[in-house]
Amino acid sequence: MISCRDLTRRFGDFTAVDHLTLEVAGGAICALLGPNGAGKSTTVKMLTGLLPPSSGQATVAGLDVAKNPLEIKRRIGVLPEDLGLFDDLTVEEHLLLTGRIYGLTSHETTLRTEQLLRVLSLADGRNTFAGYCSNGMRKKTAFAMALLPNPQVLFLDEPFESIDPLTSKIMHDLLISVAARGVTVFLTSHILSMAERIANQFIMIRGGKIVWNSSLVELTQPLEDMYFDLVESPSAEDLAWLGCGRS
Amino acid sequence: MARLRAILGALFTAFRRDTKSLGSFASNNFFLMSLLFLRQAGVFVYLIVGLVMFFPLSTDPLRKIPPVRLALWPLSPRERRLLRIASPWLNPLTWILAALAVWAASGKVTVALWAAIAAVFTLGFVAPSLPLAPSKELWRRIPNLPGPLNHLIRKNLRELLSTLDFYAALILSVTVLVSRVAGRRLPQEALLPITVLIVLALSSYAQSLFGLDGPAALTRYHLLPVRGWQVLAAKDAAFLLAAFVLTLPLAPLLGLAGALAALAVGHAPSVNRRREQTRWRFSSGASFGNGLGQLVLMAGAAGLVQANPLFLLPLLAGYLGSTWWYGLVIERGRLDS
Repeated sequence: MISCRDLTRRFGDFTAVDHLTLEVAGGAICALLGPNGAGKSTTVKMLTGLLPPSSGQATVAGLDVAKNPLEIKRRIGVLPEDLGLFDDLTVEEHLLLTGRIYGLTSHETTLRTEQLLRVLSLADGRNTFAGYCSNGMRKKTAFAMALLPNPQVLFLDEPFESIDPLTSKIMHDLLISVAARGVTVFLTSHILSMAERIANQFIMIRGGKIVWNSSLVELTQPLEDMYFDLVESPSAEDLAWLGCGRS
Repeated sequence: MARLRAILGALFTAFRRDTKSLGSFASNNFFLMSLLFLRQAGVFVYLIVGLVMFFPLSTDPLRKIPPVRLALWPLSPRERRLLRIASPWLNPLTWILAALAVWAASGKVTVALWAAIAAVFTLGFVAPSLPLAPSKELWRRIPNLPGPLNHLIRKNLRELLSTLDFYAALILSVTVLVSRVAGRRLPQEALLPITVLIVLALSSYAQSLFGLDGPAALTRYHLLPVRGWQVLAAKDAAFLLAAFVLTLPLAPLLGLAGALAALAVGHAPSVNRRREQTRWRFSSGASFGNGLGQLVLMAGAAGLVQANPLFLLPLLAGYLGSTWWYGLVIERGRLDS
């Protein structure tokens, strides 16, 4: 369902994503893991058509990302890194806008909007302008916008950050159930425990390069240990001045 | 005192860097037109210049520090009071206002003019702290429009309503309306220039259509399965709607012609050179050339349509061509660069 070969993105002399090659099957939940600046968001941006690659190829839902940008947008749902919300629209208006633009009927749009507002505990804040929403509400609104058109592939950039535990659980259950119905989920996360619970494919990247892909090499130890071994090790330096010599 | 010095030093650096608002008045069409054509108007033109110039500059430097951060810093109540008193003096306008006060006392500037400028300055200083929720409530009531772009157009209307350009045009429009309701006959030859003046007051916004959209909104435009021309058309629809309504007391067809011309010229700078705009400020245009181009084309288009309404057709064709072309430019990702 998602496939890329030698996908590369350079910004001047800096290579953010370096010859990335991966395959994600239909109905899989793939977690892309890595430290800040590893190239996770750049990868998502290239796969969703937000950023053209410097070289390489990517196909999503059977379509070449570079050649079919409009058709791809109709088939995917995206929770972008910056959430992509308009300050001058309310939570509910964002969902109504999404439904109509993706070609749903007014009735279907209203029905799905009501359900999503209820399920994601957004009903009370439905009339709040996005510019006045909390981080969590904004993320839930963007998540609801990704789900509303019933996409074939979901791209979620750090979906669980700044979300309360209950919504996190609801999102987890929703993603598991949509994946069971054949929707492919591609997510990035820093919350390793959540990624381990939800995903069935893991890809770790560092410096724009894949250092481990679970579809090629089996998980031999807990995900967190694997991450610290392969991607980054915690700093061992002691800040000796902390807690000492206070007057 | 070392703490205060450090904070004031950081504030000064931040305030000095934020020079964007300094340029906002210099390329506003209404301001340029005021300078070019109303030089003979005396105090009136000074007040317009004062309003356009002083309002964008009159910001509280202390607002550069996020309130939560300021509250968390270990400052004594005395230090906080001192900071409150000292920080406005980082804004050069405070010094200008003080100098004007001295001149007013010595009779070199009229007290009324000083009071007017001081009022504008104070309003700009405290406006961001005032609760704006009621106006947001009002904006919620913008009626729904037919079609899938309904909510995008409503959003764009809300953006336009948060610029001072709209209110400058509104004041002109309401003045004409009141005059007409009072039974005063407007000379036929005044119809065209006043209509163009109203559209002119809005026209700088047409050069910065995406100026109030943050980076997140630009991401969303690229994610929505719509063509670039549709994104642009949603922007234009809000502008045309506002121009049409505001010119209703005069000659709406001429207003529409002027607005179409303003948009046709404004698409290029809006898409190719997106400049961030600030709410509750006048929009800044791209350049003097663009402003002049808009003015000449708006006046020409409105004049031609006044002579023969059929001229609206080629004007519409030109506008549609511009929308289509710059829609393609949006699809190529030009807005983000």
